[in-house]
Amino acid sequence: MEICDLNALDLARLVRSRQTSAVEVVKSCLERVAQVDGRPGSLEQKPLSDEDKKRVHAFITLAGENALRQAQRVDRMLAAGEDPGVLAGVPFTVKDIFCVQDTLTTAASKILANFTAPYTATPVQRMQDAGAILLGKVNLDEFTYGSSNESSAYQPSPRNPWNTDRVPGGSSGGSAASVAAGEAPLSLGTDTAGSIRQPAAFCGVVGVKPTYGRVSRYGLIAFASSLDCPGPVARDVKDAAAMLAVIAGSDERDSTAARLAVPDYLEGIEEGVKGLRIGLSPDYFRITYPDPASGELLSQPLPEEIARAVTEAAEKLSALGAEIVEGVPMPNTRFGIPAFFVISRVEAASNLHRYDGVKYGLRSEVPTADLKEMYKITRNQGFGLQPKLRILMGMFVSAAQYSEQYYRRALQVRTLIRQDFEAIFDPAGAYRLDALLTPTTPTTAFKMGALYGDSVLMQYADQLTVSANHAGVPGISLPAGLDDEGLPIGIQLLGADYAEKTLFRVARAYEMATQEADWRKQKPEVLRGRS
Amino acid sequence: MTDYEAVIGLETHIQLNTVTKVFCSCKADSWFDPPNSNICPVCCGLPGVLPVLNKAVVEKGVLLARAMNAEIRPLSFFDRKNYFYPDLPKGYQISQFDQSLARGGYLDLPIPAAASPDKQAYTRHVTIWKLHIEEDAGKTKVSNQRRLIDFNRCGVPLVEMVTGPDLRTADEAAQYLIRLRQLLRWLGISEADMEKAHLRCDANVSIRVRGETKLNPKTEIKNVNSIDAVREAIAREIERQIREVEAGRQIEAWTLEWDEDSGTLKKMRSKETEADYRYFREPDLLPIRLEEGWQRQILVDFPELPLERRARFVEQYNLPEYDADILTSERKLSDYYENTVKSYGGDPKKVSNWLMNDVLRMINDQGLNPQEMQLTPDALAEILKLVDAGTININTGKALLQKVQESGKKPGAIVAEEGLGLVSDDSTIRAVCQAVLAESPNEVTAYRAGKVTLIGWFVGGVMKKMRGKADASLARQILEELLNEKNG
Repeated sequence: MEICDLNALDLARLVRSRQTSAVEVVKSCLERVAQVDGRPGSLEQKPLSDEDKKRVHAFITLAGENALRQAQRVDRMLAAGEDPGVLAGVPFTVKDIFCVQDTLTTAASKILANFTAPYTATPVQRMQDAGAILLGKVNLDEFTYGSSNESSAYQPSPRNPWNTDRVPGGSSGGSAASVAAGEAPLSLGTDTAGSIRQPAAFCGVVGVKPTYGRVSRYGLIAFASSLDCPGPVARDVKDAAAMLAVIAGSDERDSTAARLAVPDYLEGIEEGVKGLRIGLSPDYFRITYPDPASGELLSQPLPEEIARAVTEAAEKLSALGAEIVEGVPMPNTRFGIPAFFVISRVEAASNLHRYDGVKYGLRSEVPTADLKEMYKITRNQGFGLQPKLRILMGMFVSAAQYSEQYYRRALQVRTLIRQDFEAIFDPAGAYRLDALLTPTTPTTAFKMGALYGDSVLMQYADQLTVSANHAGVPGISLPAGLDDEGLPIGIQLLGADYAEKTLFRVARAYEMATQEADWRKQKPEVLRGRS
Repeated sequence: MTDYEAVIGLETHIQLNTVTKVFCSCKADSWFDPPNSNICPVCCGLPGVLPVLNKAVVEKGVLLARAMNAEIRPLSFFDRKNYFYPDLPKGYQISQFDQSLARGGYLDLPIPAAASPDKQAYTRHVTIWKLHIEEDAGKTKVSNQRRLIDFNRCGVPLVEMVTGPDLRTADEAAQYLIRLRQLLRWLGISEADMEKAHLRCDANVSIRVRGETKLNPKTEIKNVNSIDAVREAIAREIERQIREVEAGRQIEAWTLEWDEDSGTLKKMRSKETEADYRYFREPDLLPIRLEEGWQRQILVDFPELPLERRARFVEQYNLPEYDADILTSERKLSDYYENTVKSYGGDPKKVSNWLMNDVLRMINDQGLNPQEMQLTPDALAEILKLVDAGTININTGKALLQKVQESGKKPGAIVAEEGLGLVSDDSTIRAVCQAVLAESPNEVTAYRAGKVTLIGWFVGGVMKKMRGKADASLARQILEELLNEKNG
């Protein structure tokens, strides 16, 4: 085990007690990046080599020198007896959808290829203020629009450290891959339909989608503003809890950030689950997908290995004293993706209007005397396929003549989904749950190229995660075993508004109960053969 | 010839005079600043930044809604209005759509005789169809075939207020704008200067045969930068529409642009279809919750409005409508008047005369603020009382206005210091009268020969010698006595 394989809280402890230095930690991470990451994503069109296919490619911008300078500063502060913060010397990566002052922010899109923000996103700033060290910006689906990372304009796109023929998931694929591969113990991602939880599940790490508004969105380039949640990716539950405590909280620059005190998520995290009511819903044990011919929603049971991981987790929690409540109805879960399809695209199309070549980012060099022509050529050159599809769909379903049929209706569905959650978490209701336990994803990591191009089926990769975004409630995905191909399986805990602390407690109980499980001893493919 | 009537609705955009912009902390007023100097990532729509609502905008909006008798919604929402334009940096404008700050409302608009077709004053009931908050866009300037964009105006708070099709003449439209401007300044929520685009107005105009109730296709007049121009443009457009209809042609739904220089309307574009702005709720802002406490706090000092005060002045002080109108043209002037009346205790009309003839001239010529003048309402009242008591004459009183304004001293003190009080002592005046007659033997002879009109000339001489302080009627009496005495 190398320094870079330690978790964040241990690193911070070692650095703060000066048993190691922040510089040592950063060097170890940079070494790991040099060993496993391969060439960073770039706009150059270069064919994939066999070598490329074995690498992780998590980064777009590696900020090694700057990270070392930050590490030196942390070490100097410690030497001077000052406290650099709870995450002193802990390296982290940031999904390249967050603005960081004086650093390129690409959104994995050609249209922002040359954009440098004059400000830093609030959650990034809070990490830095807590002494954490920004190692670099990691890859994602273009503008976060995808579940595999393959749509990035910056190629090669990240690959799954457990099996580099597989996708890392998305859109926070670079985040999950960088944490799984030991390049950094923490990463800041975003979750709009499952974009933190799904790649966390695929890469065998912990991913948290906090309650909507728990973490400020200031500096986050918007996808679907009413659904976007920044959140942590970590290798264990305590690290994720510690990171959320740092990035959460109100922000005068984001009026949708909740003005609620941030609890100490680590306090009592190992108190166990005795007496907690944890639900299982049959609606999370089937896969729903549209029939390509009729468009009807079909459903079939979840793959057996994934279902088993969830039921085994329930048994473990039950053995620890939790009360398992079966048969919890979540009837509107199956409409989550269709409703998301509409709502997210309406917001996305509007959020993409600003990229017009007038003020920043790409402007086409094709000479044109006409402003509208300039808009068209610039947007056509700058946007990849996924943004274009979202603009077309978003413009269509919000048009005056269709809005009632699509957008308004999707909003009504969203309300119904929210009501599903309100009913099961209602302390005076029939179920009175503390958490709902579900699988995170309908499948484990799929092969590169398997779904890319079918943007409808790709979207259905998020069907078990998207409801939490509609409802605004928090969710956490944590590793719960490997399938027979050795790929990580994730389970998900969903809770009531601002119930992150409860979710961390349940997740930590499961993590402790499985500490000695065989699958925990397995390492990602890219790390095998190391001591 | 058929008798037509015009149907006019006005769409106004009112820039609120907040210190900062609606969603960021940039300075709102850029009138004296170079282009793109009051901008930030938020108002320029850079990626990732978010709007944060300036509460003062809501507060000023609530004051206007209340003044327009609109219902204030306890819960209202922001919406995105999506369209592309280079001076709209986000590609959408944050506005309010179906659940805006206020609903309904009206203004009972007095139309003075001078603006009435039959020279009889009347009232027009104007309904308000829309009243909402939104952000202003930037300005585009074309220079040498290049578009230059100034983002200073981006995010300046606006209230958009739209009337029903209730106005019937170009004069009524002008009166509406005059009253709106007065109201905005009265409430202190906008500078309301049309020339500076604080107040912008588009007019929708159609005509119909008088007596009909249906609405015919309308044209929209844009780019009108003064109240006179609005009146003029609407009048021209009504004439044009009547000509068209008389000639058997249809009115088409054009957008017209007023050309100030030539005084003509030019067609900007045909309006075949309404633009689809794809409104949806702004997810980056919370709804506006106007809890009772906040609403109360905003409205606690809600003032008496100009039209109400105008009516009260007529009623309570017996002022002619003309006086009441001028004295309520501006809130500070109106407060000044009323404070003077209270301090004086005499005839309110007399206060009105002094104010409208002399004080107002001082205010206008010297650009004074009635609230901050050294000639306070109490000082003015004191001058009036000194005149009433015969301590000084009217001319001295009027001269005192400027002296008090300049020195800040009390009128009584100045009178004492400069010896401005009227001399009504018989012997003093008699001595001066004798001296004047002694110096003017020719005039005395002429008077005694029958040219009695010379008496004024003698009085003038006395006043001159006494530097205006003599009681003129007493001087006249003594002069006549002396002249007639010698004669007898």
